[in-house]
Amino acid sequence: MAPMRPTSCAPAAVVVLCATVLAAHAQAPKDDGGAPAILVSRQLAARAHLAAGDLVTLGSDPQGSRRATFRVAGIYEPTPDPMRFTATRLEARMHLPDLVDLVADPADPASREAVTSINVRLTDPADAAAFVPQLSARTPGIAARPTSRARDDDPFAVLDRFHVAISAVTMAGGTAFLLALMVIRAEERRETVGILRLLGISRRTLLLTVAIEGVAIAALGAVFGILLAFATEGLVNRIFQARYDTALVFVRVTPSIAARSVLIAAPLGIVAGIAASWTLLGRDVLSIVRR
Amino acid sequence: MSALHLAWRTVRRYRAQTLLAIAGVAVIGALLFDMLLLSRGLLLSFADLLERAGYDVRIVGGGGMTLRMPIPDSAAIAGTLRGLPEIEKVALVRILPARIAARSGASAPSVALIGVSGAASGVWTIVSGVDLDRAPGEPCPVIVGRSLAAALGVAPDDEVRINAEPAGVRSAMPPIACRIAGIGRFAFGGAGDDTVATTLEALHRASGEDRPGDADLILAASRSDAGSGAAVAAIQRARPGLAVYSNDEVIEQFNRNGFAYFRQISLVLSSLTMVFAFLLVATLLTVSVNQRLGEIAALRAIGIGRRRVAAMLLWESALLVGVGGLLALPLGELLALELDRILRQMPGLPEQLHFFVFEPRALAVHAAVLVVTAVAAAAYPMWVASRLPIAATLRREVVG
Repeated sequence: MAPMRPTSCAPAAVVVLCATVLAAHAQAPKDDGGAPAILVSRQLAARAHLAAGDLVTLGSDPQGSRRATFRVAGIYEPTPDPMRFTATRLEARMHLPDLVDLVADPADPASREAVTSINVRLTDPADAAAFVPQLSARTPGIAARPTSRARDDDPFAVLDRFHVAISAVTMAGGTAFLLALMVIRAEERRETVGILRLLGISRRTLLLTVAIEGVAIAALGAVFGILLAFATEGLVNRIFQARYDTALVFVRVTPSIAARSVLIAAPLGIVAGIAASWTLLGRDVLSIVRR
Repeated sequence: MSALHLAWRTVRRYRAQTLLAIAGVAVIGALLFDMLLLSRGLLLSFADLLERAGYDVRIVGGGGMTLRMPIPDSAAIAGTLRGLPEIEKVALVRILPARIAARSGASAPSVALIGVSGAASGVWTIVSGVDLDRAPGEPCPVIVGRSLAAALGVAPDDEVRINAEPAGVRSAMPPIACRIAGIGRFAFGGAGDDTVATTLEALHRASGEDRPGDADLILAASRSDAGSGAAVAAIQRARPGLAVYSNDEVIEQFNRNGFAYFRQISLVLSSLTMVFAFLLVATLLTVSVNQRLGEIAALRAIGIGRRRVAAMLLWESALLVGVGGLLALPLGELLALELDRILRQMPGLPEQLHFFVFEPRALAVHAAVLVVTAVAAAAYPMWVASRLPIAATLRREVVG
C-alpha cells in the first residue's frame, strides 16, 4: 500500500479551506514574518484582489474569533470537477497543521485529531474491491469507498444515456425529414424513371441508384454536421467555460463520435431512399408515365 | 375558393410527403416541448417539495444552504421564533450518521438519522403505519425509509436498535431500542438512501451525548396574514446574524447554482430543434413549390391573386406545423416520461424530484415558437410564388 494522505476541509465563512499533508511540502519555508503559506484559487484571488506575497487573515467562524494571518504563496487553477462546475471555487489550500490550528476547538483536544477524509493509494489499484471491506471490517464506523465509480453509480453515465436518448429522437426526426425529401425527389423524377424503365433499365438498377443517392445525401449531411460540430466545439466550450468560470471541457468531438454519426447516417440514407422510391418503382411502367 | 381550402386540397393531394412532414414536425416538436418542460422542471419540482413540507422559512448554520453545519444555540433561537407574531410553528431538525440493526440480525452501518422536534409533516410521506405524533408514549418511535425497511425486512411495530454517532466522534455507547411507527418516503431522500426519522429527544438519547446538540436546520412556517417575507424580516430583527431564507430565496439560489446546467442544455436543445423544424418545413415547402410552379402559375392565370397564393402557402405551412405541433404534445409527454426515468437514475437525487414538469407556460411558449416557425418557414416559398412570372412559367412548365 502506498502512503496515506489525510485531507481535511473546513468551511470558513465563505471560503472552503482544504489541507493535505504532502511529504514534499512538509518543509515548505515560511516567510520572514512567520506567516504560514497558503495557495488561493484563481477565482478567490480575482474576487478578493489577491496576488502572490499578500498577507491575508482567515477566520474559521463568521465572528472572526479564531483567525490567523497567512501569506499567499501562489495562485492555482482548481482541478476542473464536473460534479461541482456550477459552484464558485472560492478555495484556499494550506498545510494540515495550519488548518488544525485554525479550526480546532481549544476546549476539545480530540478535535485536533479529526480529519475529514484519508486518501489511500494502493500499490495495485485492482485490489480496491478487496481492500474496502477489509478496512471496514477492521475499523467499524469508517466509511471506505473506492474513488472510481461503478457505472451504475456514475451521474455521467446517466447523462450519457440521456444524451443518447435525445440523439435517438433527433435521428427519428431527421429520418422523417430525409424520407419526405426523398419522396418529393422521387415524385419529381417520375417521368424520367418511367422513360428509363421503358428503355429497359431494371428496377434493381434504379433502386441501387436511389440507394446510392440516399447514402450520398445522408453521408454528406453527416460530414457537414461533423464539420459544424468541430467548428462550433471551441465556441460552445468558451461560452460555458466563461459562464461557469471553469477550465472544464464541455464538448469534445472525438473520431469515434464522428465515425458513429456517419455509420448511423449511411444506412438511414439507404432505407429512406429505397422506401421513397419503392412506391414509384413498384408500379406498372405504364402507370409511371401516366398512360 | 379560400386560401385555406386551396391549402387543404394541396396537402391532401401530396399525402405521403404531408404525412412524413407532419411526422418530422411531431418528433422535433416533441423534443422542443420536452426541452421547455426541462427548462423549469427541476425548479418547479424542487419548489413543490419545499412547499409540501409546510414550512416557508429556513434557518441554517454558517455553511449556508449547501454545507450543513450546526446552528449554535438553536434551542434558544427556536424559543425566540415561537414568540414572534409572524411565526405560526417552528421545527428543529438535526441529522446524525447512525447504525441500525433489526431483531433478525440484518443491519445497515451507515444511515442518516433525522431528529425532528414535533412532527414535521410533509418532510416525509407515510407509506404504511402511522406518523411519529401518533405513537404516544413510545420513547423512541421511528419512521424508516422504504428502501431501508425492505433491506432490513422490517415493518411497523417491529423493534430496531439504533446507535447515533455525532460527526468526528467514535462512540462506544450501546444502541437504544426503538419501535417502528411507520414506513415513509422522504421528500429529499434519494431512492437508495438509508434514512430514519425520529423525535429530537430520541435522537439525543441514541447519540449518548451529555447535552442535546445544536440543530442543523430550523424550519418555520409564517402566519398566512404575515407571509414569508415578513417572517424573515422579523427573525432577522430578533436574531441578527442568522442565515435566514424564505423558500423563494432558496429556490432562487438553487436556480442560480444547482439547476443552471439543465436550464442551459434545454435552451441549447430547444434552439436547435426550432432551427431544425424551420429547416424541415422551409425545405419541404420550397421543394414542393418548385415542383408546383406550373400549377401555381395556372392558379394565378385564372385570377387567383398573389395574396391568396401566398396565403395558401402560409396555410400549408400552418397545417403541417399545426398538426405536427398538436401531435407533439402527447408524443412529448410520453418522451418526457422516459427521459425523466433516465435522469432520475442519477445517484443521490431526491426520489420525488422530477426533471420534466408540465406548466401552462411551457404550452404557451411551445405554441408561440411553432407559430414563428410556421411563418418563417413559409416566407421564402411565399416570396417565390408571389414573384412568379405567369406567362413565362406556364410556357416553360406546361408547353415546354
